[in-house]
Parts: sequence; structure tokens; C-alpha cells
Amino acid sequence: MATKEEIINGFVKAIVDGDEAAAAKWANEAVAAKLDAYELVTKYGGDAMSVVNQKYEKKEYFVPEVLCSANALNAAVEVLTPHMKADKTTVPAKVVLGVVEGDIHDIGKNLVKIMLSAAGFNVIDLGKDVPLAKFLETAKDNKAEVVGMSALMSTTMPAMKKVIDMFAQAGVRNKVKIIVGGGPVTEEWALSIGADARPHDASAAVGVTKDLVAKLKQDPSSAW
Amino acid sequence: MAEMTPRKRALLCVTGNKRRADRISCMDTLTTATVDQMNAVNAPFPEANRDPQLAFKLAAAAWEVIGLEGFKLPFDLCVEAEAFGCKINWGRIDRHPSVETHAFNDLKDLKIPENITETGRFPLKHRVEEMLRKEYGDYLPIINQVTGPFTIAGHIFGIEKFCIWTKKRPQEEVKEALMQISEMNIDDCKKALQSGADVICIADPSATSDILSPQFFRDVMIPVYQNMAKKIGAPVVLHICGNTSAYLPYIADTGFDAFSIDAQVDPAFAKAIVGDKIAIVGGVPTITALLFGTPQKVREAAIDAIKKGVDVLMPSCGIPPRTPTANFKALVEVARCMVYV
Repeated sequence: MATKEEIINGFVKAIVDGDEAAAAKWANEAVAAKLDAYELVTKYGGDAMSVVNQKYEKKEYFVPEVLCSANALNAAVEVLTPHMKADKTTVPAKVVLGVVEGDIHDIGKNLVKIMLSAAGFNVIDLGKDVPLAKFLETAKDNKAEVVGMSALMSTTMPAMKKVIDMFAQAGVRNKVKIIVGGGPVTEEWALSIGADARPHDASAAVGVTKDLVAKLKQDPSSAW
Repeated sequence: MAEMTPRKRALLCVTGNKRRADRISCMDTLTTATVDQMNAVNAPFPEANRDPQLAFKLAAAAWEVIGLEGFKLPFDLCVEAEAFGCKINWGRIDRHPSVETHAFNDLKDLKIPENITETGRFPLKHRVEEMLRKEYGDYLPIINQVTGPFTIAGHIFGIEKFCIWTKKRPQEEVKEALMQISEMNIDDCKKALQSGADVICIADPSATSDILSPQFFRDVMIPVYQNMAKKIGAPVVLHICGNTSAYLPYIADTGFDAFSIDAQVDPAFAKAIVGDKIAIVGGVPTITALLFGTPQKVREAAIDAIKKGVDVLMPSCGIPPRTPTANFKALVEVARCMVYV
């Protein structure tokens, strides 16, 4: 039987390589060897995706490679989930994500979801072509810390400003940090409409979101 | 010397011969329709995408209302996907149609009906091109837009699925599917040229380097584009959205006449990379200048683009429907008074 180290290395490599079959195989080996399934997914799965993340940032990996790695991680999680004893002591921050109304290009949003989920955030995915009021409603109902909006078409970008204005009008703008992204969205424009940040890509979204959540927690009035 | 018409000027500029024209062309090979034009000629979305009379009026509005020196059809990127059987969301006055469902589950399910370009809205597009040629004679160029093979693949298979296949399936099979789609594009273009179109624009927004690696682009997309360049038989402009800087050396070798750069690519940089192998068109940012800027900001951006060497002055991407007419017109004003620097 494989050692713990071999299993972990194999597991991480399978995810980085985007090899679904190998990821499932190593997950089964881990179950047979009675390794901690929760740790394997959150720690080593997270480690593997951050390697993927770095490769994406260095332009060694592109969207197809990231999608393959996410599929490999999902295949492993499917095997491991029945064996996971969740760690209930830390409550992950909630992020509401969606592509704004009028826009159906969700590949960028899905990448951000993959990266944030792998980094331990609880992502509430509203999907694409999301009615604008839905962002506020969902953030309120779930007491979310972060709202993320994406638009790939320049034609749908103005919708982001409308959503931010809705939070302000409802008097809850200080309860959440708002990040925006998508091909045509520049940082200058993002800040001008009142967003808190415009991470330059899916991998940058992780660090930016962590920083924003830390900042939010320092403000006692931000509690829902 | 024969009179210089917008059509002659456009054909010179788009083929890299701008110095033989009197000034730069401002035909727009990308989406031209705005809400202001729809209201001015009473031809709004979504109806104007499906009614030939309204489509004619809205296409003509590019010249009649804004002064853009050319007509472009269609206004959306869904003609092909619709003919394949994808469900279309028709949108509304300020929202372009979009593809809602896919047509095939697997790469090997791909079947392209032989007469596909005689179905759906292909005939409408060709008919409106004929109407424009009849009405305006040879004075203005008519641009026939086709949705590029990679973008169509994303529509009919689902973009994430197709992306994964670019890694998991034999590259030859992926390339073959794109080749088959490109043959449909070529057939569409041949019919358009018979209907009076002068210029072809291949809009392949999904084939961006924000998604694909330069290696995949070089090994798969370039042969597909070269096939199109060889067979279309008219000046071709390729448009790809986003930052395509890493693709430029390969795009120079497609055999196309012009490449339309998005706002993320500096025109001077693009010109330096491609040299005189392919013309560079575009240059006026759709968001910062045209949609949210002022006429003055558009003028500055347009002058900057001309100084940096663009061969046709046009928006960097499809025009957002809510773009103010005053901003759009400012682009045309600059083209009309600028000689080359």
C-alpha cells in the first residue's frame, strides 16, 4: 500500500495535472489508508489549486487547464465527501457571486468560484444573467461578507453600478465588500462606480477577497 | 483621377494601403447599432434582428445617423448558433440577442446540414445586403460579419466543455470540428459576396488569449483561419476581444487583410509586431471613451489611435447600445479631418 506521503503527492499532482481519473484513484487510496478526508480536501486540495493558480498567473496555464484541474478536484471531492468530518470551529466567509443581468458569459465568474472555494470561502453562486435585485436580496438573506459581480460584455457593465447603488439605497453598503471583474472592466472604472476592488484575474481574487474580509471584520458596524 | 468614395477608401485602408487613400476610413466592421439610431429610424432591437425592412433601416443608420462609412450586418453573433438549433434569447432594445442552449453534447455529434446557410436568418442577412447595395450603389462598403469558428463551437457545445476538450481530446479532432465550422463560414461569405458585400469581418470574441494559450492558437486556430483566408476571396478583418498581444506574431501570418484590436492592445505595439503583414484596425476604446466618455475624450482617443498607426479608425469592440450619438459622431469627425501623421 502507498504511504501517506505518496498518496498526498499523487493527489496533489493529479489535481495540478488536471487528471480526473488519477485524482479519483488517489482519493480512493486515501480512504483505504484511512487518511483524514477533510484535511486532504481543504489543505492539500487547496494547495494544489494554489499551484494551479500560480501557473495561471504566470501564463503557464490558461482557462482550459484550470477547468481540467477543477474537474479533477471535484472528482476527488466526490470520493472523499462521505468520509469527511467537517471542522465546525471556523465559519468561512460568504461570497455571493454572479454575472450581471444581460450577460451570459460566466467562464470568468466560474474561475473565481473555483479559486475562492478552493481557498475555503463559502461561495453562493447566483449563476449568469442574474436580475440585479438578486445580489442585494441574497447578500441580506445569507449575511454575506462579499459580493462579486462579473460582466464580460462592455454592453452590460453599467448594471454593476446599479447593483452598488442598490446596496447604498438600502443602507447596507457598509455591510459588504464588493468586487467586480470581467474582461472590459478596468480598475479605474470599478473604483469610480464605488466598488471596493477589481482583482486583475481569478487568481488575484483570492488574496484581494481575504484582505477585504479582514478589513470588513475590523469595522464593528459591518455586522448584519 | 476617379473620385475617392468611402468604399474605395475603406478597401484601400483595410488592405493596408491607406497611404493611397486621401484620408483614413471610418467604416466600422463590428456592431454599429445603438439605441439612439434605433429610435431615430424607428427600427429597434429585438425586432430589427429578424425583420428585413427594419434590419435595412438600422444598418443604414450607421451612415445616415452617425456617418460611419460602411454598413455592417448582422447586429448580433447568434445567426449561426440559431441555425444549428440553439435557443436564442432575443434581448430587448439595449440588449443583444444571446445563445441560451447548446446544440450538441459531444464533439462527434457535430453535423452541419449542407444547406445550413440557406436556413434561419442567413437569407435575411444576405437579402438586406442586396437591398443596401441596390439603394446605395457602389458608394459605401458593405461588411458581412460571420461569427468565428471558436465562438460558434462555444455556442453549440458550451464554452467550458469545449475548452476542456482542447486539452482532453486529440487535437486533430478539435481542429477538424473547427475546420468544418469554418467551411460553413466560408459558404456564408460566398453568398454574401454575391449579395453585394465587399468586406468580411470574422468576429471570434471567445478565441481570446484571456482563455486560450498562444500554443493552441498557433497550432489549431491559425490553420483554421488560414483555410478561411485562402477560400473567402475578399478582404477579411479578424476581430478577437481582450488582450491579444501574445497572438500578434501568429495573427500576422493568417493571410487575413486586417486585425481588429480591442482596447487592451496598444495600436503602436500591434503595428510594431505585425509590421506590414496585416493592417491594424480599431483604436477607439468602447468603454472609457465612447460609452462613458465625452466627445472631447473620443476625439483625443481617435487622434492618438491615428498617430499610433491604425489603418481604419473604428471602435475597439462592438459598440454598447447606450453609447451617446455625440460620442460616436466625434470618431467620424476626426477621421474626416485627419491626414496621416
